[in-house]
Amino acid sequence: MADTIIRPHSHMQDFEAHVRAVEEDLEYYRTKRFEPRVIHFHRRGAITFYDILEAAAAAPAASAGVQTVHDADHVHDTLEPRIRAVEDRLDAYVKNIALTGVPVRGNRMVIDDGRIERGDYDPFLRIAKKPHGGTLAERIAHLEEDMTRYERLLHAFTQALVIAGALDPAALDRQRAQAGEPSMRNGARIVARAWVDPTFKEALLSKGREAVRELDIPPGRLGKMGVAENTEAVHNVVVCTLCSCYPYDLLGDTPWWYKSEAYRQQIVRDPRGTLAQMFGLQVPSHIAVRVHDSTSDIRWIVLPRRPAGTEGWSEDELATLVTRESLIGTAEALSPGERDALRQLGAAE
Amino acid sequence: MTDAAPAFRIGDRVRVKSAKLDGNPRTPPYIRGKVGVVTGIHGRIDNPVDHHGVYPPLYTVEFEVREVFGTDSADRLAVDIHDDWLEAL
Repeated sequence: MADTIIRPHSHMQDFEAHVRAVEEDLEYYRTKRFEPRVIHFHRRGAITFYDILEAAAAAPAASAGVQTVHDADHVHDTLEPRIRAVEDRLDAYVKNIALTGVPVRGNRMVIDDGRIERGDYDPFLRIAKKPHGGTLAERIAHLEEDMTRYERLLHAFTQALVIAGALDPAALDRQRAQAGEPSMRNGARIVARAWVDPTFKEALLSKGREAVRELDIPPGRLGKMGVAENTEAVHNVVVCTLCSCYPYDLLGDTPWWYKSEAYRQQIVRDPRGTLAQMFGLQVPSHIAVRVHDSTSDIRWIVLPRRPAGTEGWSEDELATLVTRESLIGTAEALSPGERDALRQLGAAE
Repeated sequence: MTDAAPAFRIGDRVRVKSAKLDGNPRTPPYIRGKVGVVTGIHGRIDNPVDHHGVYPPLYTVEFEVREVFGTDSADRLAVDIHDDWLEAL
């Protein structure tokens, strides 16, 4: 069967999907991660809107160095680089938001505060997301404009933190250079170790993240790690129906579909059907499907089954079979043949 | 981080309360009032980065999709629910 709808590893074949993903992510990070923080600090007088205005005047944002192409005549040649550019800017935006997570004047904003501010518990408090529409070229132009405005506010807020003494500019540069290393490689290493080392697997299933320390994986911000093991009798899949809790430090950036209403609503109502329809994953009828809803402090990952034909493989080699989707449970780990086919695809592009 | 003996044991049948206004709000609406089985005991989780204070002990409770949504699914749902939301059956 051909790959169905969601294949985030593929390179840009479907411009529309890339643009949609950036639109969704950008609005998500702005309205869920960044602006609730700004509002929270303003409410408490730690960093006010006026501090931000003053910081903006004192240190104007450098131009993003991206020229915006509005000429509709040659948009087609330029679509792909422009999409890549907004994707890169989105990455930087997300990393720079993470750098603003510091206490100011004894005021530490905890995740609960963020959830309250962004309206997880009270829809009245939600920050409106911007609607998107128009032709692909228009949507990209909107993204470029939005990004510039959003970057400007983030820059000014960051400067205000520096002025308030909450952020050290030198440390900020260092952190910026290191930012972004959580990736699904961490999750893949955990799985590969569990496949080769039964003692580690036992510890992993019973103690979670304590077991992971031996792999030098940074502890991150997980409250507690939960590992759901796939077996001959059960296939596990993870969701967060309330918001989008996700083991970011083990799996890296959250895939856009994980945050989509469609996934969050359908996977609990029809687990097996949703895996088949959204992800092309047919779970055999003798295997039960179990959905883990990440409703509290446990961040669940799935321990996929070890693919056949991998006897005697090294841990590093095995880790290459583990995909982000297999760690969430919307796919199995790759078979050696699937991995090789994907590599060839990657080399051909 | 378990201190006292947990109120529920693995295998206990429990009902999720329909509403608990002063409890933490992270019990999803679709599961309220439903009956499930305790499959995991996690104790009190110390998470000072994310929360003010400590939440009540946490359990994983499994439900049948069939019972929760009334469909003919054979699939299961595992939901993490705090002590104060659960009552014994």
